Amino acid sequence: MNGGGPWEVVLFQSVHHALRAEKLLKAADIPCKLIPVPRHLSSDCGVCLRLDPSFRSRIEKVLTGQVEIGAIHPL
Amino acid sequence: MEKIVDTRGLACPEPVILTKKALEEAKEVLVIADNDEAVENIRRLANKMGCAIAVAREEGGVFRIRLTRSGEAPTYEGTDIGIVCGTAKDRGAPLVIVLSSDRLGRGNDELGEVLMRSFVHTLLTLEPRPAKIILYNTGVRLASRESALIDDLKQLEAAGVELFVCGTCVNYFELKGKLGAGIVSNMYDIAAAMTGAGKLVIP
Repeated sequence: MNGGGPWEVVLFQSVHHALRAEKLLKAADIPCKLIPVPRHLSSDCGVCLRLDPSFRSRIEKVLTGQVEIGAIHPL
Repeated sequence: MEKIVDTRGLACPEPVILTKKALEEAKEVLVIADNDEAVENIRRLANKMGCAIAVAREEGGVFRIRLTRSGEAPTYEGTDIGIVCGTAKDRGAPLVIVLSSDRLGRGNDELGEVLMRSFVHTLLTLEPRPAKIILYNTGVRLASRESALIDDLKQLEAAGVELFVCGTCVNYFELKGKLGAGIVSNMYDIAAAMTGAGKLVIP
């Protein structure tokens, strides 16, 4: 799932949060991709999840109460 | 307000430096350039600054490059934009990357997998792009159809990167018929690619 876009990225507090969110989203059949946090968002060596914005509400439903979302940015 | 930068007739690295300055002042910049080198350097700059870029080629070899900076002022500081002047770039000295494991670094396995996914994804934006990527030992698992980074490897291949997958390793891990990218290669090709590299990166 590299083509297409526009994408948005969801940031998390830690790598562990990001990995947990990825597992939950994959289990819920929501396509997502773990990518390095874009340079213009942070200079940290972190990872975030890249998603299609149309899944926004489903993502929030799956993650609410499971993993805390840090911030969502357009890519 | 869109800022217009006309770089026609200027020598490298002037166009990219003027573009950087303009992007620091305006969110939308239109650059007019008259050579590929300037376009490539501006593309690299856009990548580093996290800008959207659209290049239109017009008659007479003129390029109109539209750059849109998303968000706040660029966080990218420093002079290392990766400017390349002079067209004899790295043709005879290819960059070769060897992935000898399905994980990046030693220590924690889960973390190593995450780091490898990040590393391969980053190769897509790297300039100059590697000429060849060689996968051997557990690195060949990265090219299996089930691999988490198979899309990135396919995209690298589509962009002209040669992907060599060690045949002995494919056999050993019983991955025959399960690969989603790459050319199954023997040690002759792999050794020749490694010894013929201008720069060999084994992360």
